Amino acid sequence: MTPRVRIAVFALAVLCLLPAFAHVAWHMPPFGAHPLPYGDAINAAGTRERHVTNMISAVNFDYRGFDTLGEEFMLLCAVTGTSILLRGNRGERVDAPQQVPGRPIRDRSDGVVLIARLIGPVTILFGLYVILHAMTTPGGGFQGGVIVASGTLLVFLGEGYRGWRRLMRSKLLDGCEGLGATLYALCGFASMLAGLPFLQNMLPLGEVKDLFSGGLMLLENLGVGMAVAGGFAVLFLEFLEETRVASDGDEEESGG
Amino acid sequence: MMAMLERVQSLLPWAVAAWLLGIGLYAILTSRHYVHLIGCLSVVQASTYVLLLAAGYRHNARAPIFYTHAPSVAVDPVVQALVLTDIVIGATVTALLLALVLQLHKRRGTLDPEKLRPMRS
Repeated sequence: MTPRVRIAVFALAVLCLLPAFAHVAWHMPPFGAHPLPYGDAINAAGTRERHVTNMISAVNFDYRGFDTLGEEFMLLCAVTGTSILLRGNRGERVDAPQQVPGRPIRDRSDGVVLIARLIGPVTILFGLYVILHAMTTPGGGFQGGVIVASGTLLVFLGEGYRGWRRLMRSKLLDGCEGLGATLYALCGFASMLAGLPFLQNMLPLGEVKDLFSGGLMLLENLGVGMAVAGGFAVLFLEFLEETRVASDGDEEESGG
Repeated sequence: MMAMLERVQSLLPWAVAAWLLGIGLYAILTSRHYVHLIGCLSVVQASTYVLLLAAGYRHNARAPIFYTHAPSVAVDPVVQALVLTDIVIGATVTALLLALVLQLHKRRGTLDPEKLRPMRS
């Protein structure tokens, strides 16, 4: 199919779908006044039933907790796939900083080092804060995990590859990623052991507006936070390791 | 007249979502570089964010977080939770695709989809 034919087919498809889209969009309820029965039901019941004030976390970890388990494993699959693809040529044994020949490590300006050293730890701390406050104020394992992982990149900016690599051990990060997802699944099985449906919230719910309210949701949130932070850190590690040349014992490049 | 204007206004979010989807698909079709193509896929994905958030939006409503005020009329928390996980999964899937692209470049030395016909090599 030449590019021109492809665009013609695309244009034809758009022309066919456009009237249907226009019909549906025209008959939608007015914007900003949709009936939202499911959301309203959760907004009304969430604080009363689950003792949490962040309804998004209540949806993620309790009312639709099973969906989040699926998303958790999608994350795990994507990160595992990336690791397998990138580690294929590199081998798994090397877990230490390596010098790349012909790629001198240049001195960074003092300003960059200072700013990265000031902001990096604060960013990681802020990420932990966001993970911890999932049940009360905006935040949660997904958002906080990404912030924590981004903070480690600031450590890379400040300390350089060697310093960063001493901190980022792939075994530790892999464990963080895998154990996080496992913890989430185990929460579900724990409910089953207690004779309840999968992922039923059976721990004491605690006080409303307390940091540790929400019962089982706290553990699930911790699992998601670990998995997301570990997963993104593994991704950063794998891509940055691509700058390293294959050392002895690594698989040969099979060009083709 | 005002009613008509409001009707057209409430079409806007859906039009934006459809536009992002269409422009992203068009760019994927005409892409000459796989990294560019992955960027276009992110644009397509952004259309789902617009669609979901617009479906859950409500005028004069609060965020669905009831820490400082009692539960009252708020926007839909379900779509917000969906978009939240969507963004995180999207980022990791983008990383997976970029890893594929890296390996492709190592093996074939090019990232132009037109030069990478599977049947020819």
